[in-house]
Amino acid sequence: QEFRFGSCQVTGVVLPELWEAFWTMKNTVQTQDDITSVRLLKPQVLRNVSDAESCYLAHSLLKFYLNTVFKNYHSKIAKFKVLRSFSTLANNFIVIMSQLQPSKDNSMLPISESAHQRFLLFRRAFKQLDTEVALVKAFGEVDILLTWMQKFYHL
Amino acid sequence: VPCVFCGLPKPTNITFLSINMKNVLHWNPPEGLHGVEVTYTVQYFIYGQKKWLNASKCRSINRTYCDLSVETSDYEHQFYAKVKAIWETRCSEWAETERFYPFLETQVSPPEVALTTGEKSISIALTAPEKWKRNPQDHTVSMQQIYPNLKYNVSVYNTKSRRTWSQCVTNSTLVLSWLEPSTLYCVHVESLVPGPPRLPMPPQKQCISTLEVQTSAWKAK
Repeated sequence: QEFRFGSCQVTGVVLPELWEAFWTMKNTVQTQDDITSVRLLKPQVLRNVSDAESCYLAHSLLKFYLNTVFKNYHSKIAKFKVLRSFSTLANNFIVIMSQLQPSKDNSMLPISESAHQRFLLFRRAFKQLDTEVALVKAFGEVDILLTWMQKFYHL
Repeated sequence: VPCVFCGLPKPTNITFLSINMKNVLHWNPPEGLHGVEVTYTVQYFIYGQKKWLNASKCRSINRTYCDLSVETSDYEHQFYAKVKAIWETRCSEWAETERFYPFLETQVSPPEVALTTGEKSISIALTAPEKWKRNPQDHTVSMQQIYPNLKYNVSVYNTKSRRTWSQCVTNSTLVLSWLEPSTLYCVHVESLVPGPPRLPMPPQKQCISTLEVQTSAWKAK
């Protein structure tokens, strides 16, 4: 079982375990999100992503989730007693990130730029919110992210 | 008639029951209002959009459920729903659901199962369940189209040896060979959708007996 984001291959991750981990936190986390009129991972960010684009977009999103969302949300999650599930998610995101090597070939520039525009759509929405609110919302949208990643997962 | 929020208890246990994308909101009446003629009004909300919307078919209703399949049919989206109780001019506060994601939460029913048998073999034909549709004459969409990675867990029970054999399959036909003749086999099939854990559905069950061995005519007396 592996992820195939276009030419980027990722092994050693059991996606059902990520689902299980998030599902134990879903209602706890999403209930903390009061700004239901804003969605960060809007349909336009993840709709009709080509295989070639997917590696670039997965890399950008997972890097952001690790360096911004998980890093800063860690202190809040402790009080919800879901630290184990949180760690499962974070550690698996690290495994995926470490294996994603988007091509730096010039011929791929239009594709990487298209993926970057999608990522900017997400990050702009994130930065328009108060940081604390944005962290909670981004973490609550991991089900949207995993739903998109599931399309690239092969048994 | 506008109602006044004053002390009427909220409906309880508000939740979506979703099967093959038929998304029905259910709730329990408010506690402590037995024998009182309470009605309910429902609204729903699309996560990421701006305002609550009226469920047109569920305004001042007596029943404790509301079919929101049409309103929640775009499964790229996530939803909330809420309901309030009304009695004469008084009403309760809203009782609201968790965030509901039909694509991840709908239960997928088992496939249709057709069995045909030979002396030592059984052929199993599986037909994916259909997605809910508003009108019977509407175009049929298979749940397989929504979940291309839909799988089936097929269990076969030999009623003579009492042994069970299981396999996860993706294709729609399966032939079991090397079976015992004149033996009753029971086949259980459930649908499996990769993703988060879903509420299980009872499997489809069918039993069939393999044929007797046909003694050929030329056998020496």
